[in-house]
Amino acid sequence: MSESGARGRLVVGRRELSSLSREKTIVLALVIQLFVAGFSSFLVVGLTSLYSPATVSGGGVEVAVVGDAGGEFVEAAEAAGGLRVDPYADPTAANAAFESGAVDALVEARTREGRIHVTVTAPEEGLRKTLVVVRVRAALETLERVERAERAGSLESGVVPLPPPVDASPYLGFTYTVLVPVLLLLPAFIVGSVAVDGITEEVERGTLELLRVTPLSLAAIVEGKALALAALGPAQALLWVGLLSLNGIPVANIGRVAAFVAALSVAAVSVGVGTTLLVADRQRAQLLYSFGVLGLLTAATALPEGPTSTAALLAIDSPGPLTDAAVAGYALVAVGLALLVRWYVGRVDPETL
Amino acid sequence: MLPRLRPRVVVRIARWELFRGTGTLDRRTIGVYLVGLVVLAGALPMAAGSGLAIDEGIYRVGAPGDTPYRDVVESDPTFVVRGDGQSAAADGRLTADEGYELVFADGELLLATDGGEPTPKARAALAALRRSVESYNDRRMAEEPNATAAFPVRVTLRYADRRGAGGAGAAVSGGGNGGDGGGGATGSGAGTAGGTGAGSRDGSGGGAGAGSSGGLSPLGVDLFGTGTTDGSPSQIAPPFPFQSLVLAFAFLLPLNFVVQAYSSSVLRERINRRGELLLVAPVSAAEIVAGKTLPYLVAAVGLAGVVTAVVGGGALSVLAVGSLALLYLGTAFLGAMLARSFKELTFVVVTISVGLMTFAFVPAIFADVDPLALISPLTLVVRDLTGTAVTPSGVAFATLPATLAAAVLFGLGLGVYREEDMFTQRPVHLKALDALGGRIRSPRSLVGLTAVLIPFVFVAELLAVAALFALPGGLSIPLVLVVVAVVEEFAKSVPVLAGFVDGRYPRTRRTALLAGAASGLGFFLGEKLTLVVQLVGLPELRVGSAAFQMGGGGPLVAGALLLAPLALHVVTAGISALGAARGTGAWLAGTALAVLVHVAYNLSVVVALV
Repeated sequence: MSESGARGRLVVGRRELSSLSREKTIVLALVIQLFVAGFSSFLVVGLTSLYSPATVSGGGVEVAVVGDAGGEFVEAAEAAGGLRVDPYADPTAANAAFESGAVDALVEARTREGRIHVTVTAPEEGLRKTLVVVRVRAALETLERVERAERAGSLESGVVPLPPPVDASPYLGFTYTVLVPVLLLLPAFIVGSVAVDGITEEVERGTLELLRVTPLSLAAIVEGKALALAALGPAQALLWVGLLSLNGIPVANIGRVAAFVAALSVAAVSVGVGTTLLVADRQRAQLLYSFGVLGLLTAATALPEGPTSTAALLAIDSPGPLTDAAVAGYALVAVGLALLVRWYVGRVDPETL
Repeated sequence: MLPRLRPRVVVRIARWELFRGTGTLDRRTIGVYLVGLVVLAGALPMAAGSGLAIDEGIYRVGAPGDTPYRDVVESDPTFVVRGDGQSAAADGRLTADEGYELVFADGELLLATDGGEPTPKARAALAALRRSVESYNDRRMAEEPNATAAFPVRVTLRYADRRGAGGAGAAVSGGGNGGDGGGGATGSGAGTAGGTGAGSRDGSGGGAGAGSSGGLSPLGVDLFGTGTTDGSPSQIAPPFPFQSLVLAFAFLLPLNFVVQAYSSSVLRERINRRGELLLVAPVSAAEIVAGKTLPYLVAAVGLAGVVTAVVGGGALSVLAVGSLALLYLGTAFLGAMLARSFKELTFVVVTISVGLMTFAFVPAIFADVDPLALISPLTLVVRDLTGTAVTPSGVAFATLPATLAAAVLFGLGLGVYREEDMFTQRPVHLKALDALGGRIRSPRSLVGLTAVLIPFVFVAELLAVAALFALPGGLSIPLVLVVVAVVEEFAKSVPVLAGFVDGRYPRTRRTALLAGAASGLGFFLGEKLTLVVQLVGLPELRVGSAAFQMGGGGPLVAGALLLAPLALHVVTAGISALGAARGTGAWLAGTALAVLVHVAYNLSVVVALV
């Protein structure tokens, strides 16, 4: 690569980025990012509290209990907590209380054949049914443990004692295994998509011809654009990381996370550029690019440690023995793809674009 | 003011749009497509085979071989065992940087601490361990020969409708209701029963009185958890309130591909004056747009139909998603008319897709809570799938705003589908103002223009209500009032500003007041559309009535309620119009002042009525 070639690539790259900022497209991207980041806190707090409704503190759940084993259930419910129990002697009265909405659920516990048979009737309508079922289930699990302990003599193996309950955020796992990986993979995907745009735009507007009368080769033009965009991917991902930290979701191993996203961005941009060189029409190139990247991503989940796992393990700071190898592997694949596309650019006849 | 649409012309343009590619569809392109398909088809089973364990090894545990927990954590992929961890725990405590979340040492369980407190991650790990121990015990018990002692409690969970008089008559029959009685079953095989209701789905969703109608799709996924469950306590699965999220992804992700192709096709017309040939042809712009849109609309509805069939919905679901698809296409069309380049279009489409996803799924979370949820067409899908009855006015309420909004978007886009706008490069916001300003020809058209924006106001306000609904009542009502004021004032002042920017009328105080009055009147008239809201019974909701100011009261109050908003809208629109006459900065200041007046009015009305 000669001195002037390198400068040419730099100029093309700068032009690519400045066209993005001139159109204020970056502003739009930042707005989306802020919106989603703000939304993610809603997602995390609001939705995961639905996801794990036991965490919602809103109001106790009231349950009517009937049947001869009702006493055992009441004791278990008191031990489990979160449930107010009203023992009813008369099933008809209990039924009426359920129908009128005075109680949230109906529990009928009867002893039969050495077991306690429990029939739980929960309301069909309302979001509350999830909360009701979760609370009743907790009581039933306590009941099962108590009854099991009483029958321990008839069991061959003992049960493993339950560790103590803890006040833990139920959405921590969800945040790091779903939200963070998606937010890290998305910039790479978008950057590749923009690479498709950048080249098809020049082709369709006919400005590629203009660029080619400069001393730059097609390869230099494509490389300049690709490098600028590939750098944008990790930059955007780092912005995400910063926003997430402000939101109380610290992301660990920032260096390796950045390397991971950079590798994926290079790979996505290479796929995008390669697709565009094959099909110079934006509509079809974008479609093909989307399918291609989704296909590669799906194929990558078959690896012992998929890309989403790698992102999650790095972000939550539990890198496994394969994590570093995976990051290095993605980097290798990215470089390989980039070289392959670079070789192909040299063989493409610019006149056919 | 319906544009002329000749079906024959529309179909011809649609055909041209569809088969335009065939001329250039050479062997190489087909080959590349085939490779893409093969990669995708080959990858799917691979991914399915790997089981998609996303939380694999996120918690690191140290456990010596003699603790019973070692087996537990080794059987759960969420945990990864990093040796016995005794060296880290040697000093009797564990810090976050020692590489473990949990260590079992001398019969004790140590949590990683940071500054003396257990880290959030360690606490989450302990909670996960608790769940893991429970399922481990259940698996062990399943191998016990004495099933009665291993599973001493058997549970039958069922759901009963207790809303109408026709609900389940008796939830508890007098004595012990037989049912299972299969004493030999060891519980582990019982799983979820509920397949009984699957076959008898008719799509129209007649009342689900039976209590055991399982919402089973052909794939066998009981998405809504409304079936009857039977088994040991741990086998009771609480109903999944996340369906709308799953549905939003299932329906909108495929739509993304359609919209991406559609918007590039529209933008393509604008490059190198390609669209000029069609523009000079003896066809109207509306026919061109209708023809270009038709194939994509058919594709979108077709995809929606396929997804609906997969999740087990009926015609109502397709109708609901169809209106959503129309809105998606309308937004994409306007976006493609305004964008200056493919790159900008990509970001515009991503923005649209994020916004519409939010619109589709946030209200639908409350699908079975209140009528408010019906603003999202997805709620119809949820109700269709669960077999909940929806009234015709409910269907209208769910699909009309989206469809009307789509119509307005297409209308605005058509406004700039002309030679002088299509092929020029202007910033998006100026072009958007152009699209609005192009519609202003007389005071009456300004009235109509503002009135037409009502569906967006409606959707934005309802979305705000849905988002703020979860907050405590004392906080949500004032916040809703502020958001409503901001949305409404912007809706009224933007068309006025567009007129000034476009040079439709002179920048004098008199025209400003006139334009403001016209816009305020238009808004007032359009707002009466919200009477539709009453059909659905939204005012029953406190927050809802705060947003739409529909208090009860006698005829005097009703008369005042009719005239007071008119006065308010005219006055506030006048304030912002005076600002707009002086320029963009003054417009913002004027609108801010108008918002303040509006909030003050809202607060006084609400205080007086509630």
